Amino acid sequence: MSIVFEKVSHCYLAESSLAFKALSSVSLTIEEGSFTGIIGHTGSGKSTFLQHLNGLLLPTEGTVTVDGLDTRNKAQCRQVRSRVGIVFQYPEYQLFEESVIRDVMFGPKNMGLSEEECRSRAVTALEQVGLDPEHFSELSPFDLSGGEKRRVALAGVLAMKPKYLALDEPMAGLDPRGRKEIMALLERFRKDLGCTVIMVSHSMDDIARCADRVIVLDRGSAVMQGTPREIFSREEELKDLSLSVPQAVTLSHMLIRKGLSLPSDLITADELASALLREVK
Amino acid sequence: MGTKITLGQYLPGNTVIHKLDPRTKIILMIAFIVVIFLVKRIPVFLIPALYIVGTLLLAKIPVRYMASSLKPIRWLLLIMFVLNLFLTDGDTVLLQFWIVRITKESLRQAVFITLRLLLLVAGTSLLTLTTSPIELTDGLERLMSPLSVLKFPAHEIAMMMTIALRFIPTLMEEVDRIQKAQMSRGIDFSSGGLISRLKNMIPILVPLFVSSFRRADELAVAMESRCYHGSEGRTRLHQLKMQRNDYLAFAAMALIAAATVIFSRILGGAI
Repeated sequence: MSIVFEKVSHCYLAESSLAFKALSSVSLTIEEGSFTGIIGHTGSGKSTFLQHLNGLLLPTEGTVTVDGLDTRNKAQCRQVRSRVGIVFQYPEYQLFEESVIRDVMFGPKNMGLSEEECRSRAVTALEQVGLDPEHFSELSPFDLSGGEKRRVALAGVLAMKPKYLALDEPMAGLDPRGRKEIMALLERFRKDLGCTVIMVSHSMDDIARCADRVIVLDRGSAVMQGTPREIFSREEELKDLSLSVPQAVTLSHMLIRKGLSLPSDLITADELASALLREVK
Repeated sequence: MGTKITLGQYLPGNTVIHKLDPRTKIILMIAFIVVIFLVKRIPVFLIPALYIVGTLLLAKIPVRYMASSLKPIRWLLLIMFVLNLFLTDGDTVLLQFWIVRITKESLRQAVFITLRLLLLVAGTSLLTLTTSPIELTDGLERLMSPLSVLKFPAHEIAMMMTIALRFIPTLMEEVDRIQKAQMSRGIDFSSGGLISRLKNMIPILVPLFVSSFRRADELAVAMESRCYHGSEGRTRLHQLKMQRNDYLAFAAMALIAAATVIFSRILGGAI
């Protein structure tokens, strides 16, 4: 099962003079169990793409199917919404309930589950994001720190037990420690829960470390698709799209030019470090 | 959503009307309201109507644009018309069946009130059509500034209006974002009864209020760190100055008012 985009185009304000084509004929497949990174310059259509995953936006041309369900079909779209969880940028601004536990229970409740089921899912979700339910459940979400709020919002989506988890810049505005924690969380979801993760990010380093597939968007088209290693080996092309490569790639290329014999396809800091160690020995 | 509201939405331009001093336009609008209420006979409405058309021509705004922008008030006009038609007393019966009684007087009254309302809305929307929000608040501030002798916070009120106008699009965007986030969490805005629809507003309104307070706080800090401390000793980039055209406009309005009074007298009597 997978999410399939077939020749998807999306045009904002299609019938007016302000018509703007944000996606044009995007065809791609997101396989179940994969970790897909989406990169692209500002205005390349990343957010529009993301909102197509659960039918918040509908394609003006083409089709989006999630496990065979068409997002344009209203009844099927409801099912799609519970399968694909989307975490928007700065999700902490969507919190509204009086207690953390009630906020996390909001999603499951909308799915029509019983009170006990919602509560137990919420407790599990809080544990998954590393917030002790005993301590946090009855606090007001507005009294938490920024990083904690974000994790509550993430728990709110996780409590719906989505098969696919899509995140828009989940690390934006967090300190290095917060970034690391969220990254570790995402990797855990994928390993422990078998969740498919789709992440939009500006950080090539994060993408290089986590993703096993990368999609590059430029002006509404999917211009490159492949493994991170393939994509980041095309440094020149990325530069033409005003994108960069992970720092490890830049550094290893510099070292190679200085005469060190390193493999040319290193993309993460860890890989570079171990390759250097081998070289030094 | 909300993109179709055109009533009184500013249309940028570079015409004589656009270049008038905002104070002039505000005063003229008030004068126009007075003129409308000076009209005592239906035919005299021709004078303010011609004034509106003339201004539109000078401002190079298509009359059709104005007509289509008045569409949202058509139901209000209809209700006013029907209420006046049925609820006004009179002697000369035109039509009578069941409990409905339409008289010559009630028909006149209905047409009169509807025309008055229509012209009132059209005339006052001329101001916002041809004046940018910034100019408008600037003009209001200057008009209210004599009141500051009485400790009336003219500058503060103008600044509040400017900020409110500035944040309308921002908040619209915010609503869209929050709405989508909550829709992803399974909330369904498009179905259910009135009560459940109202309940569905809570997950939007609470985050909206929270973020508005946060924005207000950030804006206050940003303004203070740029040394904003109210109107005292504050100079302005665009000095407002009355010009020849402004005086001409006042004179024109005075003539229109005089004509309205005179014609209403000549035609005489009640409506």
